[in-house]
Amino acid sequence: MKNQLSLRALFMVFTFIFLYSFVIQQSYAQNNTKNTVRLSINYVKIMNEKVFFEIKATSKIDKKTIGVSNIDLALFNELDSTSISLGHITTDMDGKSIFNLDNLNSIKPDSTNLYNLKVFFEGNELFKKASKTIHFKNADINAKLITKDSVNYIIATLKDNSTDNPIESEVLTVQVQRLFRPLELSKELQFTDENGAINFPIKGEIPGVNGNLTFEVVLKEHDDYGTVKALIKAPIGVPIVEESTFDERTMWSPRNKTPFFLLIIPNILTLGMWGIIIYLIVNLFKINKSSY
Amino acid sequence: MKKVDNLLNELAPQKFGKIGVIWTWSLVIISIIGIIAYADQVIKGQVVTNMHDYALWGIYISNFVFFVATSFVGTVTVAVLRLTNNSWRTPIVRIAEIISLAAIIMAGITIMIDMGRPDRLHYLFIYGRMQSPIIWDVIIIPTYILISLLLLYFPLIPDFALLKSYFKKKNPTLSRWYGKLSLNWTGSVAQKAIQSKSIQIIAILTIPAGFMLQTIDAWLFSTLFRVGWDSTNMGAYFISGASVAGVGALVAVVYVIQRAYKLEDYITDYHYDKLGKLLALTCIIYLYFNINEYLLPQLTAKKESITHTNVLFVGEYAPLFWFVIIGGLIIPILVLLFKKGRKPLPMFIVGLLVVVGSWWKRYLIVTPTLLHPFLPIQGVPESWHHYFPSLHEWLITIATLAMCLLIITVLIRYLPIIPIQRTADEQEILANEKNTIS
Repeated sequence: MKNQLSLRALFMVFTFIFLYSFVIQQSYAQNNTKNTVRLSINYVKIMNEKVFFEIKATSKIDKKTIGVSNIDLALFNELDSTSISLGHITTDMDGKSIFNLDNLNSIKPDSTNLYNLKVFFEGNELFKKASKTIHFKNADINAKLITKDSVNYIIATLKDNSTDNPIESEVLTVQVQRLFRPLELSKELQFTDENGAINFPIKGEIPGVNGNLTFEVVLKEHDDYGTVKALIKAPIGVPIVEESTFDERTMWSPRNKTPFFLLIIPNILTLGMWGIIIYLIVNLFKINKSSY
Repeated sequence: MKKVDNLLNELAPQKFGKIGVIWTWSLVIISIIGIIAYADQVIKGQVVTNMHDYALWGIYISNFVFFVATSFVGTVTVAVLRLTNNSWRTPIVRIAEIISLAAIIMAGITIMIDMGRPDRLHYLFIYGRMQSPIIWDVIIIPTYILISLLLLYFPLIPDFALLKSYFKKKNPTLSRWYGKLSLNWTGSVAQKAIQSKSIQIIAILTIPAGFMLQTIDAWLFSTLFRVGWDSTNMGAYFISGASVAGVGALVAVVYVIQRAYKLEDYITDYHYDKLGKLLALTCIIYLYFNINEYLLPQLTAKKESITHTNVLFVGEYAPLFWFVIIGGLIIPILVLLFKKGRKPLPMFIVGLLVVVGSWWKRYLIVTPTLLHPFLPIQGVPESWHHYFPSLHEWLITIATLAMCLLIITVLIRYLPIIPIQRTADEQEILANEKNTIS
């Protein structure tokens, strides 16, 4: 009887421990629901230079939107029936990453001349899986600088590359590159005409290192064409005299670039004083030898 | 006129009495305690100090600046008084030379104590940039040590010859040492000519070297763009401050030696009177520079300067600041303006006040400025806004002061404090003049 009681008690204890740990585990697991990742993609094409995708992964945690860092994203070129893997990238501390293409020929359009790019996150222990696809067409901006009656103009033409037709009534922004971010040259919107062109006069004097300026004509984050940018380099700025003392002999340069006056004067003083000291020490020997 | 034998009996180095022995051993013990504390600092690193990112220079640098300043006494009293033919200098120049040498040796040692990695001392020579005043300091300090040594040694040569004969029977070992140091001095015309010329050259050399030393020391601070240091006044300010510290120390040491060795016949009230006037002059000049240094920032009312001067005038460092200005400068000036104030005992008290004031003055130059950086760091601990030396720092600093006094004590024990030969020559000249007049 006693054995039965103790066995029953033992059974109940084990059952309690099992149930308790199960409940605790379940309640803990409920607190660990995975967060949702939102992916955003921006297609950027810089004429005659490069094509890249700016990808950002964010998540809303505790009512705050934060960048999801250090997650692996797979990129695919989606065609009508197939999907071609382009590669993988990892987000940085802000949840951002950039995927570069040599040029747009590296990926293929579908039968409707639309390019489709899919970014896929397979999920992990903290975040659910997510994906995002963008569709864009290939547009070109051809820009050049001309001078007419001593006034400089930027002439730019926007066209759809697949149809070779000009794109009308779209806003092109003209800006000049500066140290931190580009400076827009006009607050007025520059709409393309029926030829897909704008004619923008450059007013005022713009400073630039050695007078060199880099202008940008930009179609910004267009729903169909993404961001397309054309760069024009022109030596029409007011030269900036750079005040860098790099590699010069200054008071703050390394020891091999000591100013000459600091090598000459202190050394003359030091050698002068030590010369006299040596002379005085020699005099001690002379005193020693001049007993009589 | 006293005969040379009498002079030798009175002025030759003597064994210390009981008090002298206790004094010397006390200094030795304090020095050993300091060496142990320093060894601990080297083993554990400067974490044993209370220095931090704000107060990155602490009591060691204040102490270094004090030693450098005190070493200026050699320049002021010996070189300047010699070149201006002030004959009253004779009984005090050797004491000044000894203080100067001891102080500059300790300045060199103290700066090494401040180094976190003393084993990398030679990097200063290997990687040092000539643009940095620290390298100028590295050059000038050994140079000044050597000049101070020569300044002490050249006038001593005839005295060594006299002491060699004097101790021949009394203490042959000591006599042999004096003999070696006397460089076979016989007083020949050639020897006298070389010695006289050499002393003249050192006296001239000491002045620019002393000025350079003090100016470089000042530029260590004024080349940094910090409130309280960034001043074109700094070089002259340091030179005048060094004169005060040096002459103050000289007065105090002269009094102790005069009393201990009963030298009232040689160091008289007349000498105290002259020294008192010299000290009053240096104090007045230094007070003038202090007014320039503290009043103008207050009047020009730059925010950082006001903060700095307020900390000194009415803030955390006000008691120390006013002690230094009133106790270390104004009271000494007032006392020294009166003839009675230039008597031995008041002079000794004034000398001590000036030395203590000068030491704390260096602390005030270094510390408050460091606690108010131009680019404050965000979220620093409250303790960083204050600095008071740790036990290690105090033990080591007190030991350096003890070592300086120990060097002075040892040199006083074995060197004639008052130049014997020169005193004899002067008395002979005096007697000859009297004979000629009569």
